[in-house]
Amino acid sequence: MQARRGQSSYRDRTDEFFGIVETLRRSTAPDAANNVPYGGGGGGRREDPRSAVANQSEFKKRAAVIGLAINQTSQKLSKLAQLAKRSSVFDDPTREIQELTAVIKQEISSLNSALIDLQAVRNSHNDERTISRDTTTHSATVVDDLKNRLMDTTKEFKDVLTLRTENMKIHEIRRQRFTSNPSKESTNPFVRQRPLASKPAATQPAPLPWASSSSSSSSSSQLVPRRQGEAESSPLLQQSQQQQQQQQQMVPLQDTYMESRAEALHNVESTIHELSNIFTQLATMVSQQGEIAIRIDQNMEDTLANVEGAQSQLARYLNSISSNRWLMIKIFFVLIAFLMVFLFFVA
Amino acid sequence: MKITALLVLKAAPETTDPVILSNASDVSHFGYFQRSSVKEFVVFVGRTVASRTPPSQRQSVQHEEYKVHAYNRNGLCAVGFMDDHYPVRSAFSLLNQVIDEYQKSFGETWRSAKEDSSQPWPYLADALTKFQDPAEADKLLKIQRELDETKIILHKTIDSVLARGEKLDSLVEKSSDLSMASQMFYKQAKKTNSCCTIL
Repeated sequence: MQARRGQSSYRDRTDEFFGIVETLRRSTAPDAANNVPYGGGGGGRREDPRSAVANQSEFKKRAAVIGLAINQTSQKLSKLAQLAKRSSVFDDPTREIQELTAVIKQEISSLNSALIDLQAVRNSHNDERTISRDTTTHSATVVDDLKNRLMDTTKEFKDVLTLRTENMKIHEIRRQRFTSNPSKESTNPFVRQRPLASKPAATQPAPLPWASSSSSSSSSSQLVPRRQGEAESSPLLQQSQQQQQQQQQMVPLQDTYMESRAEALHNVESTIHELSNIFTQLATMVSQQGEIAIRIDQNMEDTLANVEGAQSQLARYLNSISSNRWLMIKIFFVLIAFLMVFLFFVA
Repeated sequence: MKITALLVLKAAPETTDPVILSNASDVSHFGYFQRSSVKEFVVFVGRTVASRTPPSQRQSVQHEEYKVHAYNRNGLCAVGFMDDHYPVRSAFSLLNQVIDEYQKSFGETWRSAKEDSSQPWPYLADALTKFQDPAEADKLLKIQRELDETKIILHKTIDSVLARGEKLDSLVEKSSDLSMASQMFYKQAKKTNSCCTIL
């Protein structure tokens, strides 16, 4: 494929390119059929005066850059995959792996955006100038190819990450087994418990801590080293090792005890803090509700006042209704008086 | 979560076997015929563990389905047989208490003991029954438990306070509606009263 320029071996066909440009210029075909390698052609493009070809060369430059970057990313990815596979329990190159992962992620995202830009450029170029069918298909093919490459790289990256997480899980399990809680051991000399004697992987000092915490320097310890069997060498060396391991075992146990007490105290303290928070919230809520209660009280008083006023009004009204007859009678008399006067005038 | 046995031993220097000073065990959940053998087993394993615990150290060992916890303080060693669920910390605080109690009641007489004493010490038997519940032994655990209960109660309280708040809100709405209505009533009454000149 034409975009594979990351590797060191490429052929510089700049001169060929110049010849072709001359030919093309003579034959008025604008661009098309450039089978010149991108890496070598990148420098020569600048001398091309035609904007159409310049546009396309711009496209090709970018495609070349993207192709190169994809290659570099896949190289880094293969390094990362190696690192992930290689990591053992104890010398785990976590930091490097994480750095590499971050770098690769960044590169992939930038490649993605660059590819999108490339596509946009291609579209805009296609709109501006006269479209030659070959050119469009060619540029489309190039873009597709780059996209496929990028997708493959991303897929590989994902696989490597999955592999890495699985490895980490396995390491965690192993680590837990080997530096397990000392209370899970057997001290009883006639109960043979060596649950992890079968785990050979890179844990040379690890079987000793549990098996040894029970033994002391007494003669009975002779039984114990023999029972521990295959992985150890001489009993004497082992005894001293065991004593040492035992000392180390005792101190962590004390620490564990103390630590657990400290942890319990911390828990108690934090619980008390939470409780104080809850109490404060409770107090706030109750005071707010007290305010609401006061409002309700006020509303009820207003209602009472209104209703009393209304009642007095109605009482007055009732009074006025009942005593209204006088006025009516008076008005009636006045009317009759007028009628009389009227009748006198007419009759 | 139970304690099967509690032992107090004098942990002699490494060469000799420790001497049992007091022993209390609860074997009621074993069948009748197994009880004596269980007792012997307890004695033997207790001696072994005590002999292998260096002074001023604590140790926990898993043996079949029991956890044996041992605490050796200057030659006086307390050993407890608990099951797996018993929290380790409570176990050790219990052993601490036992040792303190023993030293208080027997002073230094135990140092001269040369053979297993068979006198029962009532405190140990009481401790065995009382401390079946790990919260008793470990004050921290008890405090934590009480605090958790308090927290639950407080949560419930807050829920009921929230419900109360909702009810108060609805009451406020209703009371404001009521006061509006009464105000309208008053205005209406006044209006009716004012224009009474006609009829």
